[in-house]
Amino acid sequence: MKILSIALNTFRENLRDKLLYNLLVFALLMIGSSVILSRLTLGEFHRLILDLGLGSINFFGILIAIFVGIGLVSKEIEKKTIYTIVSKPVARYQFLLGKYLGLTITLFVNTVVMALGLLVVLSAQAVPIEGLLFKALALIFVEFMVIMAAALLFSTFTSATLSAIFTLALYVIGHLTADLKTAGAKMDDLSRGLLNGLYYLLPNLERFNLKGHVVHHLEVSGSDLLLIVAYGGAYTAFLLFLASLIFHRRDFR
Amino acid sequence: MNPECLVHACYDQRLNWLKPLFNGVTTCLVLGIVFLLQNELDQRHDRVIVQIQDLANLPRGEYLKPALLGYHHVGADLLWLRFVQVVGNKQNSEDEYAWMYHALDVITTLDPHYAYAYYIGGNILGELANRPDLSNQLLEKGAKANPTVWNIPFLLGYNYYFLLGDPAKGAQYIMQAASLPDRPAYLPGLATRMAAEAGSPETALVFLEARLRETQDPEMQEFLANRMKEVIIERDLRLLESAVAAYQVQHRALPGTITDLVTAGVLSMVPQEPFGGMYLLDRKTGALSSSTHPKRLRTFFKRKQPSYSFPKVQPSYSFPRTWE
Repeated sequence: MKILSIALNTFRENLRDKLLYNLLVFALLMIGSSVILSRLTLGEFHRLILDLGLGSINFFGILIAIFVGIGLVSKEIEKKTIYTIVSKPVARYQFLLGKYLGLTITLFVNTVVMALGLLVVLSAQAVPIEGLLFKALALIFVEFMVIMAAALLFSTFTSATLSAIFTLALYVIGHLTADLKTAGAKMDDLSRGLLNGLYYLLPNLERFNLKGHVVHHLEVSGSDLLLIVAYGGAYTAFLLFLASLIFHRRDFR
Repeated sequence: MNPECLVHACYDQRLNWLKPLFNGVTTCLVLGIVFLLQNELDQRHDRVIVQIQDLANLPRGEYLKPALLGYHHVGADLLWLRFVQVVGNKQNSEDEYAWMYHALDVITTLDPHYAYAYYIGGNILGELANRPDLSNQLLEKGAKANPTVWNIPFLLGYNYYFLLGDPAKGAQYIMQAASLPDRPAYLPGLATRMAAEAGSPETALVFLEARLRETQDPEMQEFLANRMKEVIIERDLRLLESAVAAYQVQHRALPGTITDLVTAGVLSMVPQEPFGGMYLLDRKTGALSSSTHPKRLRTFFKRKQPSYSFPKVQPSYSFPRTWE
């Protein structure tokens, strides 16, 4: 209950953030601009709208997750409002989870708005809408959840700027981890063990990327989808657990 | 009144109405300066929006793909968009076609399932650039990544049949295309026919008609229609040649004109030259030709050596030469 009230408060607070609206407007503009670009291309203009639309939702959602996520805790500490919360009978992990849940609600609303924008463009251009599109959108949202948890984790122990850099770095690394495994396969046992360890420690964000599947109609089985979502949930839980451990020992001065 | 007072006057309470005017004029002035400067810079550097040379500078797809962090499909789309803008030219130099191949290779590495890019790219490189080697390279890559797309082996078959003068291999690819889902209904018939009578003009005409049906691009349609007419000339010349031979057996002499063949009864009628010209007969040698296309079309049945030229890269200096 406490978590929920903190979450709703965070959501209300986020809605006052101008950054959120800026990014949202840009995302919708990008989705809309795909219609103009598709006039210039040759052949499959459907795929340009789908690719650019899903790409924009993904990209701007990540930006929102990072730049709103890093402010969740650090802003409270900066403005000293954290004292009023910590002095109440609220466990620190509850505060953290509430903040996370609040941002999740914010980003969910955002994703829905962006997805509606894309759907409007798709139906206006008479592009057939498939169930696969919603699967891809769902996995994009799971990726947001992982990135939000990472932003929250970093913001529990460093400044906002550094958290933003760390989270962006994790996002980049997360899309390249498959190379760790392939590189490790060519090395000796010790290095391979090390690289494999890193591979399992870091998130493999490419797993959440179904954008290409939508365009090429490559169906994903339900069990695969379930596994990917479970992986995202487990990784998010890991990051949040780590964040609450660090936050528990944090001294606000 | 000194200038400082003038500025102050603008912000005077009584002159409040001047404020928006002043702001508007300043904004327009600054925008105007920006426009002029930008225009001047553009003219000095003579920038075209997309230059074909830019295609040559693209990094290899293998390196570009990881750098795009999962947005490689968007990357492929945007590169395709740039590619399409430069393809519009009717004539391109040999270098430019090599750059186009590079761009297509990058696009299809970013998105290996982009079947449309393989097909259009294979068309441009094979037919317009006369580089069946590059076209086949691209198409083989596409066939490997998309084993169920029929028009990739279809185009490969075309390249082997018409451009490389290897009808047997061409027929093999058409057979492969005919076994794939969503292929047009006429394809199996064409495939068996090609295998049975590779190199005959009649088969070539059926094949060209099939290509024409699959093409939406008007430029390509015109090209294929012309090619069909050229094959019709070849078919007619073969017909006339056999008639001349029959005439020689009958009369032990060469015919004076082509109409002699009809009067002698070895030819039912003089065929019409499809480009609006006429067929000519050399009285002395008996050689036949078309008035519009004096050279015979040998591409699809006689040419063993490809007529295209590979870019010759020869090192000017090879290392152990001085010791030999």
